[in-house]
Amino acid sequence: MPRVGIDVGGTFTDFVVLEQGRLRIHKLSTTPDDQSRAIVAGMQALGLPAAQIVHGMTVATNALLERKGARTALLTTAGFADVLAIGRQNRPSLYALHQERPPALVADGLRLEVSERVDSSGAVITPLDEAALDGLAESLRSARAESLAIVFLFSFLHPEHEARAAALLRELLPELPLSLSSEILPEYREYERTATTVINAYVQPLVARYLERLEGALAAQGGGVPHSLRILQSNGGAIGPAQAALHPARLVLSGPAGGVVGAFAVAQQAAEAAMSAMSAGARTTASAAPLNVLTFDMGGTSTDVALCPGAILTTAESTIGDLPLRLPVIDIHTVGAGGGSIAWFDGGGALRVGPQSAGADPGPVCYGRGGLQPTVTDANLVLGRLDPAAFLGGRGDVQLDGDAARRALAALGDALGYRGDHVAEQAALGVLRVADATMERALRRVSVERGFDPRSCTLIPFGGAGPLHVCSLANALGVPAVLAPPFPGVLSAWGMLVADVSTDASRSILRPAAELGGPTGDPTPLIEAAQELQGRVAAQLIERDGDRVTFDCGLDLRYRGQSYELTAPLPLPVDAAAVSAAIAAFHTLHEQRYGYHLEGEAEVEAVTLRVRGTLLGRARAALPEAAAGRAPATTRSAPPTRTIWFEGSGPAAGQPLPLESALHDRAQLQPGDALAGPALITQYDSTLLLPPGWIATVDRFANLHLQQASS
Amino acid sequence: MTQPLHDHVAADPITLELYRHRFSGVAEEMGVTLRRTAYSPNIKERLDFSCAIFDAAGNLLAQAAHIPAHLGAMPASVRTVLERMAVWAPGDVVIVNDPFAGGNHLPDITMVSPIFLQGERTPAFFAASRAHHADVGGMTPGSLPLSTEIFQEGVIIPPVRLYAGGVRNEELLALILRNVRTPDERRGDLAAQRAAHAIGERRLLELVATHGRDEVTAYAAHLLSYSERLTRAALAQWPAGSWTFEDLLELVDGEQLHLAPIRVTATLRHSEHGGVLGGEVTFDFSGSSPVTQSSLNAVIAITQSACYYVVRCLTGEDAPMNQGCLTPIHVLAPEGSIVNASAPAAVAGGNVETSQRITDVVLGALAQAMPSAAAAASQGTMNNLTIGGVREIDGRPTPFAYYETIGGGMGATAQGDGLSGVQVHMTNTLNTPIEALEMAYPLQVTQYALRHASGGDGLHRGGSGIVRSYLFLAPATVTMLSERRAVAPWGQQGGEPGAVGRNRLLRRDAVTGELREETLYGKFTRRVAAGDRLIVETPGGGGYGSPD
Repeated sequence: MPRVGIDVGGTFTDFVVLEQGRLRIHKLSTTPDDQSRAIVAGMQALGLPAAQIVHGMTVATNALLERKGARTALLTTAGFADVLAIGRQNRPSLYALHQERPPALVADGLRLEVSERVDSSGAVITPLDEAALDGLAESLRSARAESLAIVFLFSFLHPEHEARAAALLRELLPELPLSLSSEILPEYREYERTATTVINAYVQPLVARYLERLEGALAAQGGGVPHSLRILQSNGGAIGPAQAALHPARLVLSGPAGGVVGAFAVAQQAAEAAMSAMSAGARTTASAAPLNVLTFDMGGTSTDVALCPGAILTTAESTIGDLPLRLPVIDIHTVGAGGGSIAWFDGGGALRVGPQSAGADPGPVCYGRGGLQPTVTDANLVLGRLDPAAFLGGRGDVQLDGDAARRALAALGDALGYRGDHVAEQAALGVLRVADATMERALRRVSVERGFDPRSCTLIPFGGAGPLHVCSLANALGVPAVLAPPFPGVLSAWGMLVADVSTDASRSILRPAAELGGPTGDPTPLIEAAQELQGRVAAQLIERDGDRVTFDCGLDLRYRGQSYELTAPLPLPVDAAAVSAAIAAFHTLHEQRYGYHLEGEAEVEAVTLRVRGTLLGRARAALPEAAAGRAPATTRSAPPTRTIWFEGSGPAAGQPLPLESALHDRAQLQPGDALAGPALITQYDSTLLLPPGWIATVDRFANLHLQQASS
Repeated sequence: MTQPLHDHVAADPITLELYRHRFSGVAEEMGVTLRRTAYSPNIKERLDFSCAIFDAAGNLLAQAAHIPAHLGAMPASVRTVLERMAVWAPGDVVIVNDPFAGGNHLPDITMVSPIFLQGERTPAFFAASRAHHADVGGMTPGSLPLSTEIFQEGVIIPPVRLYAGGVRNEELLALILRNVRTPDERRGDLAAQRAAHAIGERRLLELVATHGRDEVTAYAAHLLSYSERLTRAALAQWPAGSWTFEDLLELVDGEQLHLAPIRVTATLRHSEHGGVLGGEVTFDFSGSSPVTQSSLNAVIAITQSACYYVVRCLTGEDAPMNQGCLTPIHVLAPEGSIVNASAPAAVAGGNVETSQRITDVVLGALAQAMPSAAAAASQGTMNNLTIGGVREIDGRPTPFAYYETIGGGMGATAQGDGLSGVQVHMTNTLNTPIEALEMAYPLQVTQYALRHASGGDGLHRGGSGIVRSYLFLAPATVTMLSERRAVAPWGQQGGEPGAVGRNRLLRRDAVTGELREETLYGKFTRRVAAGDRLIVETPGGGGYGSPD
């Protein structure tokens, strides 16, 4: 069956199809009122009656950010209904006398309490007041609650109260969807657990309805042949629609996760291919070096960057809007700068770019939709770095107005005091330098945070604008290698296509690690917890008889007194030796990440057990080899050229310098081709700028490897 | 004498902006490194630290993760260090925590190191970092005691070289570590600060190698004037004139309540620089109480920080944080007063409580100048609660100590209601989760809720305080350092004041066995038995505008 990755973004719905070693790409405008419409239309256009689909969606994200989710109620232990409202007591901004929070997901009056209490050993000190639930059901009914989160203190130690309350309420209100904190996130820290459970409850009805509608529409479109549908979770693993509908909090960062999965998969495949082409001796040396990847996804309003030091990193400490989400998500750093960021001359004498963005509407000046202030995209256009004819393949609804962009940048140049014939170009160069400085900071930050030097990384640009800026960023960061995937504009959809079918589960352990492992430890509690989590994960992944699942375990450990943990791999099967191995790995990780360890000096605590399961037996999708066999580059006619403006050097530093640059159509490139800058490489939905002094070579998967000619 | 380059070479608007990113980026990477490698939760989770770079003359060039209390204190520390250290060698690292030498309280240890350019004999830049260490000795764990002189608060470190020419002074380190409760953590945190300095030095040297010394130093100076221009322009939007405001601190002497005034006169002046209108502001604290016997004395750095904080709130964060933002702000505080304490006054509470009242009076004075930009008073306290004692673990008596602060109401503004249940102004630390607290200490939290209707009424309501109730499961000593239990957070423009806070203790009478309730002052120490309860209700914020 063909495999399809479908990424629904704010503007476009992207399709990548892999069928019998052939790759196809399709792009449609997103249908915001019902995202499934564009999906079904795309499958029809692609002529695919049945396929294995992995879908990244923004239904949950949008519902949260736009506060359009269900009317959600919260039931807590008596005395603690305000835990959600108080949060961690910190205010959003340090220096502002007036501050606002986004509207609460649970309105006042929908935060309910019931008498019950469990202590820190898991013992019941106040039994659940079951008689009170009748009245609570009545309150929920009269308040027209559409979804309910149940969060009791210490339910990760004693889930029975939550389960019992849920069972009784189900009888009274059979239609009301319930999210239990002991199922969504059985970990300590009541605020984070509450917020995560409430997020789940808030988006659950909407996501469930959407998935039901999508499945129905796809079945109808397929003419009775069933599609296999899976949804990409924020942790980079795909999951079936039934599980996705139960735990939609796991989907909120689905789209960006696809980009990182796709970028890392492309880099891995290219590295493996390069390795197999090496001599045995060179291979040994090369394989010792991990594949460190920095992903750089520059879009219209924001830019996502992620560091992947040999593997994709996840974190359980993300936030969405102003709420903590304690479920594993791919560790991505976002800065509010992109192609739509507005350039302006401030009163103090500096040229600024952002934080205001023209967004998609009105968009940059060149979109001709009423935008008046020049943006990064306008600067790229004025410098000849965007081909108006090829923008979005020339078939988007956007006609670029170069004159308008030039007028806006000329006005900015006048304000900056520039004179002469190339005021607009000079201003545009300045805008790009400033925009790149913001990106450079973000990339440095994610590297330094993990203790990595960006110079040891391969930079992977994607998104509409990433490939335009990547060479100047590589220059600034001292990154030696850039790898541009074959289709940077739809890399997230590729990530969805290649994603493993996998999910994870966790549970608080909270006891000294020495009690669980080593010479005197008894690992029984850990073994039991691991079995329970493996069972839960397997139940979510296995769809038919014969499906097999492989497990990875991790143990979050910390030194006593710390309030943050590191996840150490826990070998399977879990036994005393496995725990000892995890403890040893923790000391090493601590040293690597933080620069020191306290082995033998401080007690180690086991905080959380994590289990990730992956469905076996699914062939890993790979980029097909690009078609060869056309005429070699030397015999092809020379590409057309156009004028692109760069920054002059030497005495002309800072002055715009026009250079005749080759204009390559990426679709016409073939493996082995080598191109020299200055050149512009255009394709359907993305444009790559190769500055003077850079060369690009095409590998057999149609990736472009960029480097400076001198290096 | 040659003129500094920036005087005759105009700043290029693009290069200026690039240097804003470059210098801020260096400070930011130092901060990320410090946070990553630190041990103390205060640094790692509560972000109670700052990193900065300074020019050769000690001007602040950029500061990252600048918590309000460090705004004035970082430059003050570096200034003192530069005055005391005549000669610098590459590899030197100086540490200092003396509040009377630029510190603000003892747990904040500041590190300063020189950055030498190749072939030069004097430093071209300095890197500095300040971090709140979890314990530096003294009367109580956490080093924030109810003290009466500084010597009770922990180890005092005047500016001394921890490293000389790259070699660590092991004897000095041993002396410091012997005086703190958790030496391994201190060693780790100091190492983290040094790691941050190494990153700062490397990145600055890279900048100079890429762009040349002349450009880097010229644009360092340009950025200072740029921030100063933006700040002066923002201050010029304020009306000229002079306004005075006074508020009270609640001192408890024995069982007696004394109110100590803090008074400020804010004077705004406009002036013209090269045809551009600019403003500057002077805060004169004459009329404030003399130094007290309590720990509520603030050193001058705290008073400056509070003034800088309020100005930054009112002018916005557009100007990159450097010396230029501070130049148009003048702080005059009489020596020996509660807002400019001299040795050997106790200062532990000055940083956490007095700093909040200084903020209030500065806000109150400026509110008269700009009613529409002002805010009503916020809770004005951090509600510092320390619970310590000895309990049995595996049959062995084991000491425990727990410290937390509690949020309250924020004052309302012309734009809207105040936030509820948050830390205000000079602090923004996170709470301890109840589930973490109960697992670690013999305590049970029986209620944690917003304190409804505690915000002052008004056109816009003040934020609500918090109710937090504790059940003690073992005998303990409870110490509370809180404010606004007698003098309410004021409203603004006809808004009602917020409710004062309340500290109540319910203790079982040894004879009758009945629970008896006692309402306590803002500052107290009591022995409690298992089964006793403490109920803390924190103040609400003041309202803005008349409620009608």
